[in-house]
Parts: sequence; structure tokens; C-alpha cells
Amino acid sequence: MTTHAHPYGIMAEFETPAQIMEAAKKVSAAGYRFWDCHTPFAVHGLDKAMGIKRTILPVLVFGAGATGATLGIFLQAFTNASSVSIWALVWVTGYPFLISGKPLMSVPSWIPVIFELTILLAALSAAGLMLLLNGLPRLSHPLLSNNRFRRASDDRFFVVIEARDPKFLRSKTEAFLKSLGAKHIEVVENR
Amino acid sequence: MSATLTQVADLSDRSIIGDARLTSVSRSAYAIGVVALAVAFLVAWKQQDAHAFAMSWLQNAIFILTLALGAFFFTLLQHITGAGWAIAVRRVAEAQAANLQWIGLLFLVPMFWLVATDRDWAGHGHGLALVWPWADLAHLSAEAPAEGAIVTAKSAFLNPTFFMIRACVYFAFWALAAGWFFRTSRAQDHSGDEGLSKKMRFAAAPALILFALTSTFAAFDWIMSLSPAWFSTMFGIYFFAGLCASGFSAIAIACLRLQARGYLRGVITSEHYQDLGKMIWAFGIVFWAYIAFSQYMLIWYGNLPEETVWFVARQVGDWSAVSVALILGHFIFPFLFFVSRWTKRWRTTLLVGALWMLAFAWIDIYWLVMPVVPHDIATFTTYDQLALAYEHTSTGLSNPVNYLLLAGFVSLFIGSTAGRLSSGAVLCRRDPRLEESLRFENI
Repeated sequence: MTTHAHPYGIMAEFETPAQIMEAAKKVSAAGYRFWDCHTPFAVHGLDKAMGIKRTILPVLVFGAGATGATLGIFLQAFTNASSVSIWALVWVTGYPFLISGKPLMSVPSWIPVIFELTILLAALSAAGLMLLLNGLPRLSHPLLSNNRFRRASDDRFFVVIEARDPKFLRSKTEAFLKSLGAKHIEVVENR
Repeated sequence: MSATLTQVADLSDRSIIGDARLTSVSRSAYAIGVVALAVAFLVAWKQQDAHAFAMSWLQNAIFILTLALGAFFFTLLQHITGAGWAIAVRRVAEAQAANLQWIGLLFLVPMFWLVATDRDWAGHGHGLALVWPWADLAHLSAEAPAEGAIVTAKSAFLNPTFFMIRACVYFAFWALAAGWFFRTSRAQDHSGDEGLSKKMRFAAAPALILFALTSTFAAFDWIMSLSPAWFSTMFGIYFFAGLCASGFSAIAIACLRLQARGYLRGVITSEHYQDLGKMIWAFGIVFWAYIAFSQYMLIWYGNLPEETVWFVARQVGDWSAVSVALILGHFIFPFLFFVSRWTKRWRTTLLVGALWMLAFAWIDIYWLVMPVVPHDIATFTTYDQLALAYEHTSTGLSNPVNYLLLAGFVSLFIGSTAGRLSSGAVLCRRDPRLEESLRFENI
């Protein structure tokens, strides 16, 4: 029934954080690119051992915050201190409005709105882009159909090398993972 | 678990026990301090301006008070939150905070002297009124009747006797508490008793409450009452945000300098520096700006003359440049500089940023203490008239006494801190969570 014509990848099971740390270093050194580690809890230093680059999320969030600030300035300058008309689906016109004798271009009173829009866009983009960069939302994953893999949320540590990796060669990769001292090696179906 | 510790912590005596290297720092700092103070007195004597000297003394004394109070708050915060990461830097903060044991003298001695002699050092003046106008109500009422009437109504609180009692209470609490936390932590170096950690955590809660009350009222008493008719209920928290900027920056600098002298090798890592940088950024830069703006906006928007005068005094003449410099130098520039992970982790950038923050924390206090609300402010009908009349208001920043006193007080502060550290371990070496701190990593 099962053909291993197009496997998702090969999964190696380890029993301790120290083992997976060692294994991660070696897989990274061997030049694999499409692979990942799965652990029941955060293992400090694993990112470094895997050679993962730092995320660009902070830069994106800064950009989103700056956009929010700019938006806040223009929104208020347009709505409250200009009589310019712009087309935003319909024609809308600014309405210059004096409030408690302050100047129309009254920056101190704008700051709360600028601040809130900065936070809003930064926070939403931090959460949203984090999901996107992680490839989420995703409804299914081949690993989740694997019974042994369930222990990744309990007491086992897994290294999975994907079949799409240019260096992936089933027999060779299997032997390589075995040489790392994996307790169990298994080909994961792509379904 | 973390097998990737790149730097192994050096826990040998040379690395964690204070010795002659610190004693020599302490001695030279004391020497510089005494010389600077002597020169400051000489220059001030030549200037014959008792008021300017007293104001500069107060401003610089408050500045080094914030260095110690910031470190005191840092210590309490780490105890109460049970923070593991901070163990590696906590002793430095404790030693810095323990300066509260003598900083009170810089305040209380001149204050008592002013009260006792009813004279300033040059032989004229009216006691505390040399600095705080409310201390001489008759004079204040004669000069500005409207202001005098408001301040008279406050005299149940703002009178020399109660003022002196309060000052003594603040300093008594700070000196006892900061001294106790330092000594208890040092006692743990010898006994390794875990119970002491619990004891300090337990004591940190009431101490934080008292810290909040004393620092708030100290800011009211010594800074806000310089313009006695004016008030702002968030003034205390503004002072608190400022003392975080200077106190935390001073902790970071002290750690960097200790490591440069060969102490704490591999003990304090980029991870700890990043967290110190985060605290400077969060409390000293962002929170400071948040509070500063909140205070400004409420007063600006309400536009009540008795409230706006305080800010008006800070935007006439040369003061407007200082106000703008504070927005840029205490918020915008350091915000952008320290927002990056790397500037907090690299020692050189952290040192530059922390020194920058110290400089602007000093300017912030200068900006709080020095400007004077013009007494004839009510006679102007427009702001433009007032701005024109006071366009040549000087900040007094060119007076060398400011910098001589600053050098003197900071040197005494460094000398005392280094001396205290030289008499024992510079690390909470037997804190039960030291191991956790040494292995700490930011994710």
C-alpha cells in the first residue's frame, strides 16, 4: 500500500536535549537547508546550533510603527486642518475645525492619535507577520499524521530533514541520521 | 543544558573579589572629587552669588541622588520579581544604591545650616528661602501677592519645620533600606543562606511602596516647590522616570568599567547588557517621554495660567533650546539608537548610549531646577509680549560652578562605590540563582 515514492522527509528521534543539540550542529554542518528540530520545550541555544538566521520581524514591525505614525500625522492634518478633497472610494473633504482655541496644526494634541496608530500597526503587524513568516495559518502538515511524532509534545526530540532539500538522498540521509545516534529513524509520508 | 556557552564565566577570586584595582580607582576618584569641590568653592566665592551656587549644589546633589535611587529601585525590582538574569549585575546596583547612606549629607547639612544660621554662606539671605521661595512668605507675598496668597494656603505642608522633618525621613529610609539590602546580600556571600534571598524578596515589597512615596514627595519638596504656587500631580512619576534613565545608565557604565578592569570576566555577557539596555530604553527613554508628554499635554490643553506658567518659564529665552534639546536628546535620538538589539549588546555602543543618557538626565534635572517663573508674568496680555520681554533669559549653563560641582559629586560617588565594592565580592557569588543568571540568554 505505502509507496515511498514521494516522502515528505526523514524523521530522527532523540531522547535528550543534549543529543538534539549535537545532532543539530552536525546536520547544519553537513549543509542541509530544509530541515527542522521539534522539541517539547524551548531548548536554549538550539537556534544557534541549527545556524538559523535572525528573523527580520523587528525591522518589519519598526516599519509598520513608522507607517502608523506617518498615517496618524496625515490623517489629522487632512481631516482637521485642511479643506483638501481626496478620493478614497468616495470623495472626502477635510474640515478645518478650531478646538479650544488651539492652532489648526496643533501637534501636541495630535500625539495621542499618532501614538495609538503607531502601537496599533506595530502590534498587529508583529502578531500577523509572525504568523505569516512561520508559514501559518496552515491546516495540515505531514508530520502531524505521524504517530511517533506525537511525542514531540511530550518527551522526545526530533530532527526532520525534508525530501526537497538539494542534499537529500534517502539512503544517504538515513545513514547520516543514524550516525548521529538517533534512537529511531522513520520516513514520513507526504499526505 | 545550554552546551553553547561561548564564554565561560570566570569565578576566580581575581575576577569576582574586589581588590587593589578598585581601591586605587576609589582613591583617585576621591582625590579628584575633593579638588573639584575645592575649586568649585573658590570659583563660587569669587562669583559672590550665593543663590546661583545653592541652586547648582541642589541640582547636582539631586543628580547623584537619582543615580543611587535608580540603582535602589533596580535592586528592589529584581528582588520582587525574582528575576534570575539580574543576579550577575545586582551587586553593582546594590553598591551604587548604598551611596544613599551619605548622599543625604549633601542635602541635610546645607539645609540645616541655612535653617540654623538663617543666613547663606556669604552672610545674607533668609534661610531656606535662598533656594525655596516659600520659606520666606513675607518676602514672597510682598513681591508677588497673588502667588503669596496661594503659597500661604499651602503653608501647613510647605513650612521649614515639616520640610526638614520630611527630608530626614526620606533619607533615613533610603539610607537604612539601601544599606540593609547591600549588607544582607554581602552576608549571603559568606553564608550562602537561601533564606536571605527570601528575606530580601519579602522586604522588597514594602520597600518599593515606601520608595514610591518617598521619591514622589522628595520630588515635590525639593524640585516642584521651587515654583511653590505651581503643582502637577504627576511630577513625582516624572522624577521617577528620570531617575531610571540616570540610575540604570550608571549601572551599565559601572559594569562595563568593572569588566574593563578585569572583573566579572564572562560573568556579565552581552545578554545581560542587552537587558540593561532594554531597561534604560523602556523606563528611561520611552516611559520618561510618555510621562513628560502626558504632563505637558494636560497643562497645555487645559491652558490655565496658573499651570502654564511653569512651562512658559521653560520656553522663554535660551530655555526654549534646552526644552527642544530634551525632546530630541532624551527621547527621539536615544529611542532610535537603542531600539536596535545590537546597540544594546555591543559594549562600545552601550557605553556611548548610557553616557549620553546620563548627560541628558543631568540636563533634565537642570531644566527642572533652574528656570524661574517670572513674577510679573500676570502683567502680560499675550505670550508674544512675554517672550519678547524675556527673550534674553539665560540658562546659566555657562557657569563653571555647575560642572565643578558635578565633577566633585560624581567623583565622590565613584570613589564611594568603588571603595564599597573593593571590600568584598563584586558578584552575588552565592546567590542560589547565580547559575541561572550566568546561563541567561535572550531568545
